[in-house]
Amino acid sequence: MTAGTSKLISRQKPTRLARITQHLKREWQLYLMLLPTVIWLLVFLYKPMYGLQIAFKDYSVFRGVAGSPWIGFEHFHILFENDQFLRALKNTVIMSAYGLLFGFPIPILLALMFNEVLNQFFKKTAQTIVYLPHFISSVIIAGIVITSFSPSAGIVNTILGWFGVDSIYFLTKPEWFRPIFIGTGIWQEAGFQSIVYLAAIAGVSPTLYESAVVDGANRWQMMWKITIPSIMTTIIIMLIIRIGNILEISFEMIILLYQPATYETADVVNTFIYRQGLQGGQYDFAAAAGLFNAVVAFILVMTANTISKRYSRTSLW
Amino acid sequence: MSGVSLQGLVKTYGDIQVVHGIDLEVQEKEFVVLVGPSGCGKSTTLRMIAGLEEISDGDLSIDGRFVNNVAPKDRDVAMVFQNYALYPHLNVAENIAFGLRIRRESKAVIDASIKEVGEILGLTPYLGRRPADLSGGQRQRVAMGRAIVRRPKVFLFDEPLSNLDAKLRTQMRAEIKRLHNRLGVTSIYVTHDQVEAMTLADRIVVMHDGRIEQTGTPMELFLNPVNTFVAGFLGSPPMNMINARIESGDNGPIARFGELSLALVDTPTMRDAIGTDITLGIRPEFVTVSTQADTHGTIPVDVELIETLGSEALIHATLQGEPFIIRAGTVGQMDVLNGISGFSVEPNLIRVFDAKTGMALPDQVMKQ
Repeated sequence: MTAGTSKLISRQKPTRLARITQHLKREWQLYLMLLPTVIWLLVFLYKPMYGLQIAFKDYSVFRGVAGSPWIGFEHFHILFENDQFLRALKNTVIMSAYGLLFGFPIPILLALMFNEVLNQFFKKTAQTIVYLPHFISSVIIAGIVITSFSPSAGIVNTILGWFGVDSIYFLTKPEWFRPIFIGTGIWQEAGFQSIVYLAAIAGVSPTLYESAVVDGANRWQMMWKITIPSIMTTIIIMLIIRIGNILEISFEMIILLYQPATYETADVVNTFIYRQGLQGGQYDFAAAAGLFNAVVAFILVMTANTISKRYSRTSLW
Repeated sequence: MSGVSLQGLVKTYGDIQVVHGIDLEVQEKEFVVLVGPSGCGKSTTLRMIAGLEEISDGDLSIDGRFVNNVAPKDRDVAMVFQNYALYPHLNVAENIAFGLRIRRESKAVIDASIKEVGEILGLTPYLGRRPADLSGGQRQRVAMGRAIVRRPKVFLFDEPLSNLDAKLRTQMRAEIKRLHNRLGVTSIYVTHDQVEAMTLADRIVVMHDGRIEQTGTPMELFLNPVNTFVAGFLGSPPMNMINARIESGDNGPIARFGELSLALVDTPTMRDAIGTDITLGIRPEFVTVSTQADTHGTIPVDVELIETLGSEALIHATLQGEPFIIRAGTVGQMDVLNGISGFSVEPNLIRVFDAKTGMALPDQVMKQ
């Protein structure tokens, strides 16, 4: 080999493996910090995927996942002929739609309102008050709701009584379940969810507002023409995430609030899975329902992301 | 008359006063540059004129109207910001039209204005683009377009070229000057860059610690700075300062520093100041270089470094241990520059300041 050739070889780019090894050596502290999260993801989110196959099997606890025979899409056939599942699916879609319609804009409105408050003491106090319900356990929240809507001593019925309205047993009436559930969700989470939008608003350059002030814009115009368009990327990303979770109705809250009298409007896919799988022991059937749920969520988030990417140049990936 | 009048303008934040009673009259169509180091109060003054900062005390009038308590939108001023302040979600045309839309101008007026401004600033091909798709210079042009489209009485510029690279800054500087010549709108421009101030201004206002140090045309300030601050701030490289004492020489007053001396102009003021400690101000451009230090009237220097800039060179030297910079032409002079051992300077090109107060001694007027 001539000297010239050896020089040529030494100038060759290092292999991909060599580059990765070099990178890992240099940045090992960062990867060490990442490790617990990766382990958590593998153990709690990826390993259970192995169990998803029971949705296509006649699963028996005694035969195990691998030993149970394959039965194809039979569980899915049964699922779509099951009136309870179809009702739960319908309820899930309706409640998610309501949640999206009312629950999604309220944190944005709250953030915009907080942004307009000039008195810092009032602003901080109001923020603390609206953030607080997020930190209260769902069981306590449910307790508060049950007490508030109680026909005998509940504050709602007491107020209605002042106007001569007879007591209503709200939590046993199917027509009241959805408003109460959606309202509770908004009360519990809207404040905390507004933090994301407040952070986005804080990132808007103050000179945009100053420039608008000199141009003659009032506060209302600044909110519409600067603040909202400036946080639109955040709003869209949050919307995509929300759409991805559209079938993930707050399971605990429904379990805590619903009762057979309100199943008609309150039973959702997750509570159906819970009853069938854990209470009824039909793990394979419940897994099929859960898998259906996940596939629909995946399709929804992909669709929302694609639409957003095409029309607003904003996307999660 | 679209002038701007500042009388005793004060700005305080809590107990801290940052602008200490500024008096300034900006004439109609005049281009005034407020210049000074960071924290001197120039931007705060501009923001008070724009209405973005409350005026703590004093009077502000625009076009003869007292506007202290008038909202920014009603002052009929337009402002160009350092970071352009373009709305990222709007395209160039929409950015330019923003102020007009806010004021509910008709579509015909808006379209005509966008077209006109686009042509003036060479933005027509970019009207449909968003700010993120533009270069720094184009963004700055859009920011100016947004200001001029409203045809305000006064333009306010807050360090508009600071975010641009040196080449683009030179280009944009010329564009701003051309625009001012074309539109003839009263303009107040804030910068910390003395080159911008010198090249753009009809009149420069040098500020320091919330006060005006001196106001005048660029050449007035360059040739006749009232104090050592202005002398040191304007000019690049800055004026050389030498601590000395006025003594009586054979042919009139001289400035003595150590074993060396320089002849001063023979005026009654200078003669009266004999025995006074002074600071000599010598512009790097005003000296004549010499290769023979022992010649009469030549001050010897030790050359440390020569920076060749092309047609001229900066000679970094020391004079009695203190830095001394000389600016000299290079064409046909390189042999001389390489052999520099001293310099001489005409007495009328030396600025003399009182060493205690830093103020220029009276009766020194260098003619342009």
